Amino acid sequence: MIYLDSGATSFHKPPAVARAVAEALHTCANPGRGGYGAAVAAARRVFECREAAADLFDCQPEQVVLTTSCTHGLNIAIRSLVRPGGRVVVSGFEHNAVTRPLHALGADIQVAGRRLFDWEDTLTRFEDALRRGADAAVFTHVSNVFGYLLPVEEMAALCRRYGVRFVLDAAQSAGSIPVSLQALGAAFIAMPGHKGLLGPQGTGLLLCSESGKPLLQGGTGSDSVQQEMPDYLPDRLEPGTLNVPGYAGLAQGLRYLKKVGVERIGQRERRQRKRCVSGLKNLGMQVFSGPHQAGTVSFLPGMDCEEAAERLARRGIAVRAGLHCAPLAHSSAGTLETGTVRVSFGYDCNDRETEEFLRAASKLPPFTQ
Amino acid sequence: MHFYYITFRSVTYAQRGEKLLQGSGIRCTLLRTPRWMEQRGCGYCLRLWTGEVGPALQLLQKYQVPYRKVYIQTRDGQLEEMTP
Repeated sequence: MIYLDSGATSFHKPPAVARAVAEALHTCANPGRGGYGAAVAAARRVFECREAAADLFDCQPEQVVLTTSCTHGLNIAIRSLVRPGGRVVVSGFEHNAVTRPLHALGADIQVAGRRLFDWEDTLTRFEDALRRGADAAVFTHVSNVFGYLLPVEEMAALCRRYGVRFVLDAAQSAGSIPVSLQALGAAFIAMPGHKGLLGPQGTGLLLCSESGKPLLQGGTGSDSVQQEMPDYLPDRLEPGTLNVPGYAGLAQGLRYLKKVGVERIGQRERRQRKRCVSGLKNLGMQVFSGPHQAGTVSFLPGMDCEEAAERLARRGIAVRAGLHCAPLAHSSAGTLETGTVRVSFGYDCNDRETEEFLRAASKLPPFTQ
Repeated sequence: MHFYYITFRSVTYAQRGEKLLQGSGIRCTLLRTPRWMEQRGCGYCLRLWTGEVGPALQLLQKYQVPYRKVYIQTRDGQLEEMTP
C-alpha cells in the first residue's frame, strides 16, 4: 500500500516507537503512584516524553500536559479560555475539534478570513475581528483539508497587540513545521501524538503557558488530601492513570524528529506536495494549491470524491475523501457539497510513491465544471 | 556528609530536580515522600548524600524547580525540617 493519508495518522512509525511501547508494557506500572522500581520506571518513561517535547517545542517539561488526542487538548484549552456565550475569533479553516467545543459552549463564533492561501485576507479579517473585541482566538496552523499554512506568527502578534489570549491547533504542523510555545506566546498549543510526532494513537500534547481549567477531576498522585485539583501543572490537567506505553512510544517519535530535523521533514513533504500538484493539474483535476501550502493537497476529479478514493484504494493507494471533519474549511473553499480527495504526505514520502499515486490518479476522469 | 530530603509537590518537579542535580554531580535518589513529611498527602522527594544542601537548593531556585521542604537526617537517625 502507498500511504498518503498522514493527515489522519502516521502509519509507518520509526521502529523504535513500537519497541518502546512493548518495553513499557512489560516493565512499567503506574507513574507517579509508587516508589518501587516498576512505578519509578513508568514515571521515567513519562518524564522522558515531556522532556523530549519540551526540547522540541521550546518550553519546560511541566508545561507539557499529556492528553489522549489533539481534540482532548483543544477541549481543555477552549474551556479554559472561553466562557459560555463568549466571543471567539477563529479562522475559516477550523476542524470540528475546534468548532464543536465552541458550539457546545454557545460561543459567539466570529469566522475571520475564508480565502484559501491568501495571507493578506486572513490577516486583515482577523485583525478586524480582534478589533471588535474577543474573549479568545483559536486558529489552526495548517488546514487539515487544503494544507493552507496560516500566517500564525503574524496572527499571534495581532492577538498580543489586542490583548486576546489564543489557542493554536497544531494538529497538522507539529513534526513538520517548527513550533515554539515561547516565541508564539500562545496560551495553549494542542497537537496529536500520532500524526507528525510519529507516536502511537491515543496520545497527544497540550503545551500550556497557563494552568488552565481541568476538563476532568480525579487522582493525580499528588496533594491527595485536598479535594480541589492541584493548582500546578501538569498534575492539574492530568487526572487518572496515564497511557505510559503510548507516551514511551511518543518519546521515541519525538527523538526521531529531533535527530532527523523537523524542517527537513517539512521540506520533504512540501517537495512531494509540489510534485503532486503539478501532476494532478496535468491530469486535468481541479487542484487546490497556493503559495502558502504545507504537505497536503486536495483535489476534485470528474466523479464523486468518495468513489474516486475507493478506486484509488483498489490500486493500493490510501487517501482520504469527504469532508475531513472540517465543514467550515470546505464551506470557505466552496467544496461543502462535493467534498474533496485529500493527499497528505508524511515523513517517509518519496518520489516513487508520488509517481505511483499519479499513475493511479490518471485512471480517474478529469474534472469537469 | 549527611542525608538530606527535598520534597516536591509533583513527581514531574522531582524528576526535573533529579536530572538537574545529577547533571551537576550531586548524587540523589528519587523516592516517595514519607507520609509524615507531606501534610497534603502523596508526593515525591529526592534523597541527597552530600556535605551541604545549599548548592543543591541554589540550583533548584536558579532553574525554577519548585520544592516544598528540606529535611536533614541527624546523627541519631532522626529527620528534622530545615525550612520553616
